[in-house]
Amino acid sequence: MIRIAAVGDVHLGEDARGRLRPALDHLADHADVLLLAGDLTRHGTVEEAHVVADEFAELPVPVVAVLGNHDHHSDQADDVTKVLEDHGIRVLEGEGVTLEIGGRRVGVAGVKGFGGGFAGKCASNFGEPEMKAFVGHTIEIAERLRSALESLDTDLRIALTHYSPIPETLRGEPPEIYPFLGCYQLGEVIDDCGVDLALHGHAHFGCEQGVTPGGTRVRNVAQPVIRSAFATYGLES
Amino acid sequence: MNEESPQYRVAHVRRALAEDPRTAEMGVRVNVRGEHLHLSGEVATEQRRDELEQVIVELLPDVEVHNDVRVADTREPARLEELR
Ligand SMILES: [Fe+2]
Ligand SMILES: [Fe+2]
Repeated sequence: MIRIAAVGDVHLGEDARGRLRPALDHLADHADVLLLAGDLTRHGTVEEAHVVADEFAELPVPVVAVLGNHDHHSDQADDVTKVLEDHGIRVLEGEGVTLEIGGRRVGVAGVKGFGGGFAGKCASNFGEPEMKAFVGHTIEIAERLRSALESLDTDLRIALTHYSPIPETLRGEPPEIYPFLGCYQLGEVIDDCGVDLALHGHAHFGCEQGVTPGGTRVRNVAQPVIRSAFATYGLES
Repeated sequence: MNEESPQYRVAHVRRALAEDPRTAEMGVRVNVRGEHLHLSGEVATEQRRDELEQVIVELLPDVEVHNDVRVADTREPARLEELR
């Protein structure tokens, strides 16, 4: 079995330094890989990125991440990414990474994702430029997830996003804000490409478990949802 | 000016908690009951829980804040979910 550890929305900053470390020190007992589902920082600054890098440094398993909306807040996403990558954390935005785990090839495709809403209750690429820019960002990112997934030739495929690909894992959030929490385009790509597990964060009041219309398991690993340092999932390979 | 309605008050508080750099919190629920304001949700540290109150007190000095926000549980998970 391949053991996946995952957490999102740790929102680290100087005041939270070291909080996750006691649990991470035993990570190898729980998992073969650690996936970070975005919102790693509070304001998206380089200083906070260093706290994240230190927190997840020198772990016994590979660490793969996507950024979240908070990690973009200071318009320093490239610098944040560089700090994390310099410390051995692989940050994905439209790319896939292949890991060798127990003789099996595990592929992780990652994007931040974006809002837009879900089938029948979503924004359209129509009208004012602001609206078209919003939905254009949604579509562009979903297509980046598609190419990342298509680039993977592996035994198992995992989709890692910050925003949600389905509405089900948002239950607990006010339905009025679902269009700011995820979009159906991510779910559609996941179903088109065939994925073994989809992980996301962002919805702090959502719930952990859901499934795409095509039958892929989805887990919301936002830390306030899973209520532990990380969640762990076992996948048959 | 009329007394601020509870809906607008909630909107102003939520906006302040999200946009004030001291808090930058989107994951906090705000409920207004007359002059009482209830907060719930989860933040990463005790310090951030206290910062929520500071921002609100500056905005609305007369309300009584009930801060039920909890601090993140960062213990190791007790279980592994097997997906078959
Ligand atoms: Fe978050
Ligand atoms: Fe987020």
